[in-house]
Amino acid sequence: MTTTTTPETLVTERQRTIDGTWRWLGRYGTLMMLALLIVVVGILEPSTFLTSDNLISILNQGSLSAIIAIGLTFALVSGEFDLSIGNAASLAAVVSCTLMVDHGISIPLALLVAVLVGLVMGLINGLVVTKLNVNALVATLGVGSLAVGVNFAIANGQPVTPPNVDSLLDISLNTFLGIPYTVYIMVVVAIGAWLLLNRTVLGQSMQAVGGNPVAASLAGIRVERVKIIAFIVCSMLAGLTGILLVTRTGAAAASAGDSYLLAAFAAAFFGSAVMRDGEFHVIGTVVGVLTVSTGFNAIALLGLDTYYQFLFQGLVLIVGVGVGSVARKRATY
Amino acid sequence: MTTVEQDPRGRKGRLATVESTLSADEHQEVRRSTGLEMTGISKRFGGLQALQDISIGVRPGQVLALCGANGAGKSTLIRILAGAEHADAGQVLLDGHEARIGSPSDARAHGLSFVHQELNLVPKFTGLQNMAMGAVPSSRLGLLNLRSLRRRALEVGQQLGYQVDLDTPVEELSVSDRWMVSLGRSLMTPARFVAMDEPTASFTDEEAERLFRVIDQLTSSGVGILYVSHRLEEVLQVSDEVTVLRNGTLVGSYASSELTVGSLTRHIVGHDVHALSHSAVPTSGDRPIVRLKVTGLARPPAVVDASFEIARGEILGIAGLVGAGRTELARLLIGADHATAGEMVLDGAAFAPRSPHHALRAGVALVPEERRSQGLILTESVESNLAMAAHGAARSMLTPHRPRSSRRTAEALVKRLGVKTSGVGAPMHSLSGGNQQKVVVAKYLRTEPTVLILDEPTVGVDVGAREELYDLIGSLAEEGMSVIVISSDFEELAVCHRVVVMRHGSVVAEVPGHLATKNRLTELCFGLDDDHPQENS
Repeated sequence: MTTTTTPETLVTERQRTIDGTWRWLGRYGTLMMLALLIVVVGILEPSTFLTSDNLISILNQGSLSAIIAIGLTFALVSGEFDLSIGNAASLAAVVSCTLMVDHGISIPLALLVAVLVGLVMGLINGLVVTKLNVNALVATLGVGSLAVGVNFAIANGQPVTPPNVDSLLDISLNTFLGIPYTVYIMVVVAIGAWLLLNRTVLGQSMQAVGGNPVAASLAGIRVERVKIIAFIVCSMLAGLTGILLVTRTGAAAASAGDSYLLAAFAAAFFGSAVMRDGEFHVIGTVVGVLTVSTGFNAIALLGLDTYYQFLFQGLVLIVGVGVGSVARKRATY
Repeated sequence: MTTVEQDPRGRKGRLATVESTLSADEHQEVRRSTGLEMTGISKRFGGLQALQDISIGVRPGQVLALCGANGAGKSTLIRILAGAEHADAGQVLLDGHEARIGSPSDARAHGLSFVHQELNLVPKFTGLQNMAMGAVPSSRLGLLNLRSLRRRALEVGQQLGYQVDLDTPVEELSVSDRWMVSLGRSLMTPARFVAMDEPTASFTDEEAERLFRVIDQLTSSGVGILYVSHRLEEVLQVSDEVTVLRNGTLVGSYASSELTVGSLTRHIVGHDVHALSHSAVPTSGDRPIVRLKVTGLARPPAVVDASFEIARGEILGIAGLVGAGRTELARLLIGADHATAGEMVLDGAAFAPRSPHHALRAGVALVPEERRSQGLILTESVESNLAMAAHGAARSMLTPHRPRSSRRTAEALVKRLGVKTSGVGAPMHSLSGGNQQKVVVAKYLRTEPTVLILDEPTVGVDVGAREELYDLIGSLAEEGMSVIVISSDFEELAVCHRVVVMRHGSVVAEVPGHLATKNRLTELCFGLDDDHPQENS
């Protein structure tokens, strides 16, 4: 009996070890990439990279991308797409700055307006997708284009500089305990988003809808409502990103937020391979943003040209998601 | 030959004829060297030993049936043979030589073909287009040569003795014709052995008979068949030999001619199965307490006029042919679709659910027909799946989700229903069909419905799990739940207190449970009433 079972057990053990290794690589390969990046740059630039000032600067650089990418995560978790987040950010900034110029609204009110612009866009996206049954890619592309039109109609494509620009800039420049306000805002958004997705029925319903909308509907989940809310959360955070961008640049440019679209998608998809088997989640998205902004920071410290940023972002996305997906495939054998 | 074919067990007769023409030596040679064997196959998934030292063998021209409860390991064994799963130990032998099957294309290269439960057809493609998928391009430029593909498809039709419509999109074909397209596709490259997983699960009796004729054709051309099915009567009719698995171990292989449904069931379950029975409907005074009353419910064309009522603690069956409107009626009851006429009264109050959410909140739940596509998220854990309906029934979506209590609830449900899983964290797709079905039922039980509708609850579910499901239904009814069972397996409806029959969208008859025999229900489904018995012939 022992002579026959031993080789079998060996085969099983070996296979299981291989499976385990691949599975581990699939889940933690992305984190290894970030760790490797930190170690290598830490060795190359020991005096500048691993300082607390620089780490805070990385967090600060990544905070806006993180907020918009966390918003996008809601749409992706619900099984949808949102290509209008960049346009939403730009429009929110232009609308609230124009109101500050024309009607002298206060900064808190301007923040609220930006978020409300996001809310309206998210509602339109959600209604078009659920009630008109338009594919989310097409719907959000269309709504995004509408937003660009409205944006240009309001500001004629010119940057809008709000009157109280200094106090606006203070939001980005001021710190509490040495950490910029925007980092705190990002942390609050991340915690709130995590709680919403993992500790409420709404968040669990979003995951169910993303997993199998038919089963979710027959289980009593209000699929349309859940999707609309996901679009709204997504666009509201895009609106918030838009106005925070103004606190950084001092003016609302017509297409300032557009570049965040790609960064947000890169971070969220990279994040889907962080510690999970291809599921979108908030922590993964944040890790994705941090990986990209750490890389950007390193590129600047090493004195490389800016085009390396694009090369890096593309590479991180492909390698991160690719390794995860190959490893998962190997692990199932 | 002709006399043999008229014998209901003709296939075995013919095989015997073929063998008897061989001399004893040749016979030995055939037995030793030809055929497909799997020996000593073991496979483990996490903490679950799915297969333990399993050996089976199929000879050319023979039908081997693989039987066992859900979770016995049949699907895993087939998946290993197909190269979709890798065994931890054991080997596959073809004609006595080891065949290494590392991928589905290896299996195909060895002449092994598969028709899985999920047909994987493209609905909008025609039969020919579907059959062309995966076929080797036949012209020099690597393009598909439609003419030669059509020729090949017609050859396959001839081999099967049945030609499906090659030019109709498969979504317009019947379930059995779709299955035939899938079989045809698997034979586009010549096959020596074909494995069929639950082919007749949603076939009518006639369609099943047609499949058996096709199987006869295939075996007479020397193809060996591995046949997986829960329908034991048809297993005995179609197979030469039956191999039974239980909990991943080999129970034994038996000549089909020596088995009865009863003895086969005993091998599968490991003990005697008691007859389905039910308790009396609780009454108040001398009349049952009506829970749900449905009057003139309609949504043409599928549902035209449905009226019935169900009492507290009652099990009501709905019989009917495919297309009689039973599933559509169930969807009206839970608000997934909206009735254009008629009304419902639930516990004395008007009931007009706007959506499944509202129905669930009112206590009416539907366990849907297609458990994989409508009941489950296969990539998610057992625990998340069990939480789904509870979340769906929540009054406010901002209700907190508490992982620890959700886990405890899930563990209790898994224990109560005897779901076989390595843990509540295991992904849903790692469970067998019957256990998946238990999870779908458990998911809805968690919302404590007062009316539970089950649409074809035992399709693809083995006798053991079927018995457990009906035991569960019985005990739920005893606790006062009203249970509606929609089933095409009329023998199963014997468990009901009452059975209503639907035909062309209307409820046309009602039969007390003890009179609801298969024959009686079949007659009513076809509209053959007692006054015109001559229509029966």
